Amino acid sequence: MSYPPQPPYGSSPHDQPTQPGFVMPPPPPPNHGPQQGYPAPGGHPQQGGYPTPPPPPGQPNQPPQPPQQPYAQEQFGGPIAPLPTTQGGAGPVVHDVYSLPVNDNVNPYAFSVELNGSYFLQKGKMIAYYGDITFKGVGAGMVDRMLGQHFNSPMHASDWVVAEGRGKLLLADRAFDLNSYDLEDGNLTVRSGNLLAFDPTLRLKQSIIPGFLTLLGTGRFVAASNGPVHFVEPPIRVDPQALVGWADCPAPCHHYDHDYMHGLIGGIRRLTGIGGASGEEHQFEFIGAGQVLLQSSEKLMADRAVGHVGAEAGVPVGGVPSQPGTAGHGGGNPNMPGLGNLGDLGRRFGL
Amino acid sequence: MGFTKINGKMIEAQVVPGQRLFSQRGAMLAYSGDVRFTPNITGGQGGVMSMIGRRVANEDTPLMSVEGQGRVMFGHGGHHVHVIDLFGDTLYVEADRLLAFEGTLRQSTMFMGAQGGVMGMVRGQVTGQGLFTTKLEGNGSVAVMAHGGVFELPIVPGQSVHVDPQAYVAHRGDVRNKLSTALGWRDMIGRGSGEAFQLELSGQGAVYVQASEEKL
Repeated sequence: MSYPPQPPYGSSPHDQPTQPGFVMPPPPPPNHGPQQGYPAPGGHPQQGGYPTPPPPPGQPNQPPQPPQQPYAQEQFGGPIAPLPTTQGGAGPVVHDVYSLPVNDNVNPYAFSVELNGSYFLQKGKMIAYYGDITFKGVGAGMVDRMLGQHFNSPMHASDWVVAEGRGKLLLADRAFDLNSYDLEDGNLTVRSGNLLAFDPTLRLKQSIIPGFLTLLGTGRFVAASNGPVHFVEPPIRVDPQALVGWADCPAPCHHYDHDYMHGLIGGIRRLTGIGGASGEEHQFEFIGAGQVLLQSSEKLMADRAVGHVGAEAGVPVGGVPSQPGTAGHGGGNPNMPGLGNLGDLGRRFGL
Repeated sequence: MGFTKINGKMIEAQVVPGQRLFSQRGAMLAYSGDVRFTPNITGGQGGVMSMIGRRVANEDTPLMSVEGQGRVMFGHGGHHVHVIDLFGDTLYVEADRLLAFEGTLRQSTMFMGAQGGVMGMVRGQVTGQGLFTTKLEGNGSVAVMAHGGVFELPIVPGQSVHVDPQAYVAHRGDVRNKLSTALGWRDMIGRGSGEAFQLELSGQGAVYVQASEEKL
């Protein structure tokens, strides 16, 4: 396990690397150290810049920008885990407004945005800022005009604020790992609770899958995940709770496994409940070309309530007319956040 | 074979026909290929008597068996995962820390009192292991969960290792452990250092320690 080559420390006076291999736009080593044994066929997705549209077949390993790839391996576990120290282990790095990275991670858990104009961010994710920035709730005055163009998910409006002005904005979310993703005229769907902020050049829409938001266009967004994000390529089936999002996958669909519910033993199992369920009966299945983003845990962040889809023929979930009094009941199953009642196995098995 | 670490919180396992894996229920993150997940009534290997033993011993973490052909990714609860390869030696670990293990390993339940009598039982209470713990032996890989990163401390004869009981995850090899107390009058009046109990491990093997004093 070789350590990814690092730029020599202290080579320039302003050289304040926050963490090994993190901010420094490296003299990129041709190959980023040990790839953690995930032999993805075809393009190997990079942690940092998510290359969309799907990577050109010729150059699967060329990151379009300095990636944050190494940290995922260094930060957690493994025999190569150095403690996050500065050069010489001299304690925490002190940043100022100039040394903060521009639109990059400060460390795995904090992201610095160079703000010049406006930026959408989820409420409560700002931890600090330099400069002259105002935060306006979505729905206030001037902001509405911009909203009309870029925020096509009105149900979410109350969860978002617009930061306007100039300066550096630091984002963090409960010590979850943050990653930024670049979209180039692409689309990416992400769990609503995991999306932190996005460029106003992107357009935000509600995904058809309840609990997910789709970003369209060109720009950068920041998403959180519990543990580093792992990219996989279809065909794959993913536990709904481990799904962060997906890009370009044409066909996310539900998949149910219940083979063991068949047959004699299965019948007993089903009638008596003895033996229980494996907890893995329901997955999201992805086929086609694209990338699926996994988070390494099944502990979910609180999902933002995705607005209730109006009752309308042809709209999933929304087919049931919602009673005004029981809107909370119809909106989603509290046990399965983000799934609506599509994940409800009881209904599936007719129980 | 074995488990491949994807990052600190995820592992990937290759599943091949004829070899099964056990994993904690609900710990599958994703899979590709033709893989079946079956809830395991007996909670592991060894038939009904073992099941009863586990139930009694409260080591009956719900398991499922994973069979088929493909690759499966496991992770659970945002906990850090550590892969331990066993080559004929023995691993002692609490059942609810087991994320996944290969079916080639023999799983059994061990009475804490068997290692050190009454003090073993006291030790089990202090470390949160209870009176019983799970023993895995044979050849294969085990993925163990921990709160915070895991590191391995080797234990060599003549050099015992002291571990905070709350940070203890698992140990392997031929290791005797005892609870050493450093209780003094300060502890009696509530001015203790907070480190009154330590787990002292000696012998030949290794102990796995998590960088946190929080239980799973």
